[in-house]
Amino acid sequence: MSDEHPPTVAEHTRAALNEDWAATIVGLVLLALVLTGVIPTGLVP
Amino acid sequence: MSGEAAVPAAARSTSWQWPALGVLTVLVLGAGTRALDKGVPQWFAGSDLAKAIEFPVYAIALGLLGNVVLTVTGLRDRLAGGFRTEFFIKTGLVLLGASINLKVIVTAAGPAIVQAIVLISAVFLFTWWLGGRFGLDDRLRALLSTAVSICGVSAAIAAAGAVQAKREQLAYSASLVIVFALPSIFILPALASALGLSPEVAGAWIGGNIDTTAAVTAAGTIVGEHALAVATIVKVTQNALIGVVVVVLTAWFAFRIERRPGAARPGAGELWRRFPKFVLGFVASSVIATWYLTTVGADEGKAVIGVANDLRTWFLILAFVSIGLEFRVASLKEAGWRPIAVFAAATVANVLLALGLATVLFSGFTVT
Repeated sequence: MSDEHPPTVAEHTRAALNEDWAATIVGLVLLALVLTGVIPTGLVP
Repeated sequence: MSGEAAVPAAARSTSWQWPALGVLTVLVLGAGTRALDKGVPQWFAGSDLAKAIEFPVYAIALGLLGNVVLTVTGLRDRLAGGFRTEFFIKTGLVLLGASINLKVIVTAAGPAIVQAIVLISAVFLFTWWLGGRFGLDDRLRALLSTAVSICGVSAAIAAAGAVQAKREQLAYSASLVIVFALPSIFILPALASALGLSPEVAGAWIGGNIDTTAAVTAAGTIVGEHALAVATIVKVTQNALIGVVVVVLTAWFAFRIERRPGAARPGAGELWRRFPKFVLGFVASSVIATWYLTTVGADEGKAVIGVANDLRTWFLILAFVSIGLEFRVASLKEAGWRPIAVFAAATVANVLLALGLATVLFSGFTVT
């Protein structure tokens, strides 16, 4: 068993909402970098 | 739990090193997956099996292997903060939007919404009824019904907030979702092939009944690119309906089940708060890429979208590795066999109903 404190339902909910926005922003920023050529073809392994 | 008091609040809030090491672990296993995905077909040139194995298989296998090693060494729970399945899968799906033409999303949205509404309502009510017959607690019934009918862990988290479930019930429901989703990643593509389903119908079936979004993406990838597109649209539609279900559940529990005096009615604000924002990112990504492809030549457009696809594959690999790392059966033993029986029966009902709906709604649909 873990000796860390188990997260509460409220903490789970908050984390899920934050991850939602973070994923949306990171995904769109990466797409913008690809379309503008900042991340060029061949760079991603 | 006696260990809780031993960890000071300040130490918890500033201890970012372990989650960072967790992310590093996921990245290392992800790089291993990528190496296997590219290397195995070359190392075993001529073997059809080597060519047929898709990257989700390597990612989940390495994740499970890492899970065993970290559990044995006692590091797993410390690193678990870095296993961000939800973040990785949602970022991957936003990037996936760039490879799906807006026209496909618009034309698939109609049948996807019909399938989602029928499936969610029928499977939720069946699970709720069956949970009652097995004498489960109302909160656990609500969690299991939401998890099996909508989209697994994130739906269970949303429902747990709505019905004020205990955190043990949430952990238990989330474990059940993952235990059932993991084998379905491999069983459903095999069944779809055995039944001779078209990629579009297979995708709609997978998207309609596998519980977690990450597992849907893994199974869709195994079937192929067209199946993945339809599976994602169907699953994203279900995700978008979480808010509606949560608002209904909140009101139902407050006014009918528990009859809490003075409970506030959930309003439109709650609908927006619960709406999964990555769905907006997924659609925005498709709109941007569809427009971009009209401004450049076909070859250049294909190469550039290919880079976005490589990034998408990376995020999906990280999500699938995290699924393997997060897998645990310990909390299932504590709740007994009855919730497992309810969840299993609901899953079978979900599989059959989703197959019927997918065949009726998507048999004439093509991804072009």
